[in-house]
Amino acid sequence: MSLLLSQVINAIMLGSTYSLIAIGFSLFFGVMDIVVFSAGDVAIVAAFSILVLMGTQMLPVLDSLLPHAVSSVVIVFVGAMITALLMLLMYRLVIKPFEGKSPLMPLLSTIASGIVLRELIGIFYPQGRNPQAFPQMLPSGTISSSLMISWRNVIIILATVFLVALLYWFVNKTKIGLSIQAVSQNREAAMMVGLNWRLSILVTFLIGGFLLGVSGFLVASYSEVVRFDMGSMYGLKGFSAAVVGGLGSMFGGIAGGMLIAFIEVFVTAYIPGGSAYSGVAGFLMVIVFILFKPEGILGEKTVEKV
Amino acid sequence: MQRAAFASKNSLVTLLVSVLACVFLYFALVGSLFVALTVIGLGLALIVFGEYMGKAEAIHTAFGEHRILGIAVLIMFVLTLPFLLKGNNYLLHIVVMGGIYSVVALGLNFQMGSTGMVNFATAAFFGTGAYTSALLVTKFSISPWLGTVSGLAAAAFLGLLFGIPALKTRGYYLSLVTMALQVIFTLMIINTSWLGGPNGVPGIPAYNIAGFSFKTSVVLFGMKLPYQANYYYLVFAILGLAVLVAGRLYNSHVGLAWNAIEQDEIVAVTQGINQTKIKLLAFALGAAFAGLAGALYGHYTSFIGVENFDFSISLIFICMVLLGGMDNVLGVVLGAMLLTIVDEKLRDFADYRMLMYSLILIIILLARSQGLLPKRIRKYGKLRDSKIEPNF
Repeated sequence: MSLLLSQVINAIMLGSTYSLIAIGFSLFFGVMDIVVFSAGDVAIVAAFSILVLMGTQMLPVLDSLLPHAVSSVVIVFVGAMITALLMLLMYRLVIKPFEGKSPLMPLLSTIASGIVLRELIGIFYPQGRNPQAFPQMLPSGTISSSLMISWRNVIIILATVFLVALLYWFVNKTKIGLSIQAVSQNREAAMMVGLNWRLSILVTFLIGGFLLGVSGFLVASYSEVVRFDMGSMYGLKGFSAAVVGGLGSMFGGIAGGMLIAFIEVFVTAYIPGGSAYSGVAGFLMVIVFILFKPEGILGEKTVEKV
Repeated sequence: MQRAAFASKNSLVTLLVSVLACVFLYFALVGSLFVALTVIGLGLALIVFGEYMGKAEAIHTAFGEHRILGIAVLIMFVLTLPFLLKGNNYLLHIVVMGGIYSVVALGLNFQMGSTGMVNFATAAFFGTGAYTSALLVTKFSISPWLGTVSGLAAAAFLGLLFGIPALKTRGYYLSLVTMALQVIFTLMIINTSWLGGPNGVPGIPAYNIAGFSFKTSVVLFGMKLPYQANYYYLVFAILGLAVLVAGRLYNSHVGLAWNAIEQDEIVAVTQGINQTKIKLLAFALGAAFAGLAGALYGHYTSFIGVENFDFSISLIFICMVLLGGMDNVLGVVLGAMLLTIVDEKLRDFADYRMLMYSLILIIILLARSQGLLPKRIRKYGKLRDSKIEPNF
């Protein structure tokens, strides 16, 4: 019983990290109708930025001024802001030039820019091609040792819930959030009623980048190591989660992320020799979804207009 | 009278351009990194300049009239290259790899260039050919030739399977499916010890004809050529065949149907194109090309490992097609050759390999998304027969 429960918690934790990046994919897809394939690598850049920040004198200085928990949050915030700015840069360099052209081009350019980020980490981070231990910034104590629930689990899940709630509030209650929704529903109509659609797109990329940064921090904390090339698999799974849940739907991203995480965790735990094939099972499910329910769990069914 | 003068002028142009192309390729191959990059840059500048001056169309017309001449120059170049390289085995190795990759890129071009379906699983097709042939030959000791044919067949079958999603999806969804299939392929190989797992398959036997092993060096016209020369001629014979097939297909109703689907699927279907057949054909045929090349690769290098067939390799193939020019048979071969050469010249900077490929990809997309030799407008009826008078 406790094994099952701990597996469930593990899956929810993993699912949380997938959900965040899936929401990032959905945000970008919503406003631009493109898939930003470098999202996974952007997330890992945040993890490495945090790693670098932890190596500097920033933490001791912050600790002397603030309680330790707050200074950790500040460092994560700075790391996520770095990726938010990186995402803006990426929009300017490899996405904006291809507006209105074949969707093949931003697809390839974002994949390529993801590899550029990955390789830059591998080349310029000291021993960047080796796995790096990620400092444990979340409290490590357990809440209930019989159920094997640790503070780390709870914080990862709570952080995800908090971010999603914040995003939900932002998109539905603030003016700029509503304008983002308007642009993603119909850009021409949004322009006609006088919305600054460029600004909406920029804000979306900023927010999406921030979200990716936090997700990178969470996935690094979850796996306790970071590798320079972790982003490709993470991004692929995040995109799969977004598609399975319904591309463009926020809660769909959560549903998709959880589904993929549950399949992976349970295949690993309950099928003999399954750990090697957990990735295969996850991707097979994605293919089945695309073939038979391409609109995803929560997405809207689109009818092609001729 | 005037007509004849034009004709001779055109044959001269054809001769000049094709010889020039061969000279450029030769120096790109033999030169040091710096020389190679300069030569490639110069060639690029010439192409762009030629287009800017409006000569590209005239050169193309000249080639159309004197096709045989251009082909003859190219064949001469290919046949004599091992002698020109003085039997240098390393340079020959680069060309052999370029030939193998060209065949794969031609296969990918059916899907990506002609039909507009971006396929990220090309390396999986390439690997299927290589693994099928290698395992059949090493485990059941059948003839490598038979293994190669089985590799081709297995890859074509896999292509047919992978093509089924393309019937129901397109765009990003299709890309995601092919990515997922590519990742599944890699994971299956790593995790299945029977397939060699992470250690790969070593000791793949070489081809042989009537007791003559391809791994032995030969003496031809008084020059001792390394064993790579055997593979060189084999690979280029197959590449020639592949170019022929691809060219014929491009000019046939199949190529036209692929283009129609690329332009607008719904219109194509309403015009009576059998979408199922034509899309599956693009996948199966492309995969067969890749599988054949994969089997050749395995028997040539005698070792295959999973890192030769992973996602990044798929991306390199996409890079080749895009650089050369989508849906342009010669362009695709040129792109594959050039990228292979540059890749080898940058061997000293192996750490920067993927960085270089991705930067090249971004630069092509930004600066010249039509590739080195852009897709040509099809000509039919009067247009095809009318001879545009050269304007030199």
